[in-house]
Order: sequence, then C-alpha cells, then structure tokens
Amino acid sequence: MKQLFRKLTLLVMTCGFIASAQATTPEEDLAAFQNFFKKRFPNVETQDYINGAYSIDPVGRENWEAIEEFPPYEPFIDEGQAMWETPFANGKTYKDCFPDGPALAGKYPHWDKDKGMVMTLPLALNNCRKANGEKPMKYKKGPINSILSYLSYESRGQVTNVVVPSDDPKALQAYEDGKKFYYTRRGQLNFSCAHCHLQNAGMILRTEILSPALGHTTHFPVYRSKWGTVGTLHRRFTGCNKQVRAKPFKAHGEEYRNLEYFLTYMSNGLPLNGPGARK
Amino acid sequence: MHKRKVLKFSLLAGILCSSMTTLALADEVSTAKVQKLIDAADAARKQAAEVGGEWRDTGKMIKKAKGLLKKGDFVAAAKLANKAAKQGHLGYEQAMSQKELKLPSYLHYE
Ligand code: HEC
Repeated sequence: MKQLFRKLTLLVMTCGFIASAQATTPEEDLAAFQNFFKKRFPNVETQDYINGAYSIDPVGRENWEAIEEFPPYEPFIDEGQAMWETPFANGKTYKDCFPDGPALAGKYPHWDKDKGMVMTLPLALNNCRKANGEKPMKYKKGPINSILSYLSYESRGQVTNVVVPSDDPKALQAYEDGKKFYYTRRGQLNFSCAHCHLQNAGMILRTEILSPALGHTTHFPVYRSKWGTVGTLHRRFTGCNKQVRAKPFKAHGEEYRNLEYFLTYMSNGLPLNGPGARK
Repeated sequence: MHKRKVLKFSLLAGILCSSMTTLALADEVSTAKVQKLIDAADAARKQAAEVGGEWRDTGKMIKKAKGLLKKGDFVAAAKLANKAAKQGHLGYEQAMSQKELKLPSYLHYE
C-alpha cells in the first residue's frame, strides 16, 4: 500500500508521462537483485559470489583453486606496496592524501558531495598524484594495477557498503544513471549487461561461463590469464562493451563511474577479496 | 594524303583529350558525392554518440571510407560510408527506444 502510494505520487509528479517507468529505491533494487540469484542458484551461498563464475562452476573452481595456491597477482602486490611507500618528487606520499590507507578499497566508490560526483579509488589516486605534481596513471593497463593490487590486498575482508545518501538528489541520480546503463541494450549485438550477467548467468558463451553479476566488484583488480596481467574494473567494462560491438566509454568518465556505483551497490554485504584471478 | 593523316591524328587526339577531361570531371563529381556520404555517416555517428548509442566499428568504417576515397575507390568508399551511416542511425534509434528504464520482468520486487 505504501509502495502503491509512492508510485502514485511519482506518477502525479511526472504528470503521468511515464506510467511504465518503475520507481524503485536502491534498497528495493538490492533485495530484488540478490533474491534473483538466491532463486536462480539456490545452492550457492550469497557470500560465495565473490568468486565469480567459480561460485557456480565446480570444474573451473578446482583449476582456479590450484592457481590461487601460487597467486599470479602476488608480484603486483609487492610492486604496489613499493609505490605506496615511495615518496613523490615533493617528498610527500600517498599516505598524506589517504591517512587511513592502505586499506582503502571499502570506502570506494562513494558519493563526493563537494564535487557532486561518484568518486572511485583510481580517480582519487590520480587526484592525489596531480595535487602533488605527479603525472596521472593510465586507468586500464600499467602501474595503476600494481598499486590497486596492494590496496585491495590490504582491504581484504572489508565489507562492500556503498551508500546512496538521501540528502543529495544528485547522488540518487548518479545511482539511477548507473542502473539505467546496466539494463540498456547496446551495440550491434543489442545486449545489455543484464542479459549476460543476470538472465544468462551460468550459460556458456564461447568458452566461458557467464558469471553472476552479484559479486562482480569485490575482487578487482583481477589477474586474467587471457590478459596475462592484472587489469582494472573499467578495463573489464570496456571489454564487455566491445564484446557486444558497442563503443566503450572513457575509463572513470561519468558513465562508467555511475555504473561502478550501481554495480558495487548491488554487492552490498559481500566481503572484498581482491586482487582476484580469473581465466 | 599527308593532310588527311594530320587531320585524323588531331581528331583522335581531340577525342582522347576530351574523354580524359570528362573522366577527370567525373572524378571530381564522385569525390564530392562520396565525401557527402562520408559526412552524413559521421553526422549519424555523432548523433548516436550524443545519446550513448555509438557502435564499436562505426568510426573505424568512416576512417576506412576516407582512405578508400583518397585512393579513388569510389564504389567501395560509398558502400562503406552508407553502412556506417546505417549503423549511426540504428545506434541512435536503439538508444532512443530505451529512453525509459524498463527493469526486466525476472527481477521480482516485493
Ligand atoms: C555478451 C555477453 C556479455 C555482456 C553483454 C557483458 N558481459 Fe561482462 N563478461 C562476459 C564474459 C564472457 C565474461 C568473462 C567470464 C565471466 O566472468 O563472466 C565477463 C566478465 C565480466 C566481469 C568480470 C567478472 C569476474 O569475475 O572477474 C565483469 C565485472 C563484467 N563482465 C561486467 C559487465 C558489465 C558491467 C557489462 C555491461 C556493460 C557486461 N559485463 C556485459 C560477457 C558479457
């Protein structure tokens, strides 16, 4: 009844233009999203979705567990630690920008009220570099993956807890934009993210099992055998957009930032376990 | 006799020359025509991009069409430009047809 009332008010507020548009709150979205997977894979513990496709693929899982015994991302963690500790040319370090570091991953992405935008960890790292007269890092490949590996490793066990503050309508708008992005068909193949990672999760596409969207953000950056190195979440977004023959967006531009905001929110409650390893 | 030969030669040369100029003229016309197709394709691509609906290969096709035009391969260039324009229009329509978010029916809201 309360919900009906809210929907009606919204309908009136929008002058009845879009009777079909559903007004759902982030909390309702989260419940529907996580319940979808509970029904779809009733034997998978919610917490196990942090392991991607391996949460639903027992054969792949065995292979993966063997790989995790000698994690291919380990050298990147060490490299990242050195980056974290090495002073910039001006003598300052990352720690001066992030006094709570290095276990920072659980704080991102978050709504930055002053800037009026979603702040992601890679963006914050580059802002820190720029403020200290250093060149920003590239967002998809290269050194950013080392420092992110270190920070994620230090953040293991923190729990995903993205907040959409109710005192700033722009935050809700950013969340809604990310949600819209997720459910929008794109590219020549006319697929949305949800087509592969919700509707068809568990199906095989070429040689890969489509991983469930739940848990998609907990383990980045990720060492991917296909890449032969560690890559960022936005590199993955880029790859998935290209796969459906859509032109990818700019890494850490507004579209992907909002997408990360929504997608990470959908994993609220799941522990962080980066860096990860995938096929 | 000699005179007739000269006449014949100049006639032939005349025909040759004029056909060459028509060919050159035709080239110019084609270049302009195909350039128009390429411009239209790029406009369509931009229109799609503005609503977040650009496809992966449209820009590449336009670039390739430009190269073909430079080489004088008008037919191939025109074909590619038209294909790119079509992609631009489709990408735009795809985005516009989804202006309103529709959540999938398999997501159940209590
Ligand atoms: C055509 C199907 C398809 C579409 C559409 C698609 N992806 Fe993917 N995605 C894949 C495949 C295949 C993989 C690699 C196997 C796996 O982990 O699912 C993957 C992997 C991922 C991963 C990494 C999972 C992990 O455990 O490391 C993320 C994150 C991801 N996709 C997000 C997205 C987002 C966001 C979108 C929409 C922009 C999207 N995908 C659209 C097929 C798709």
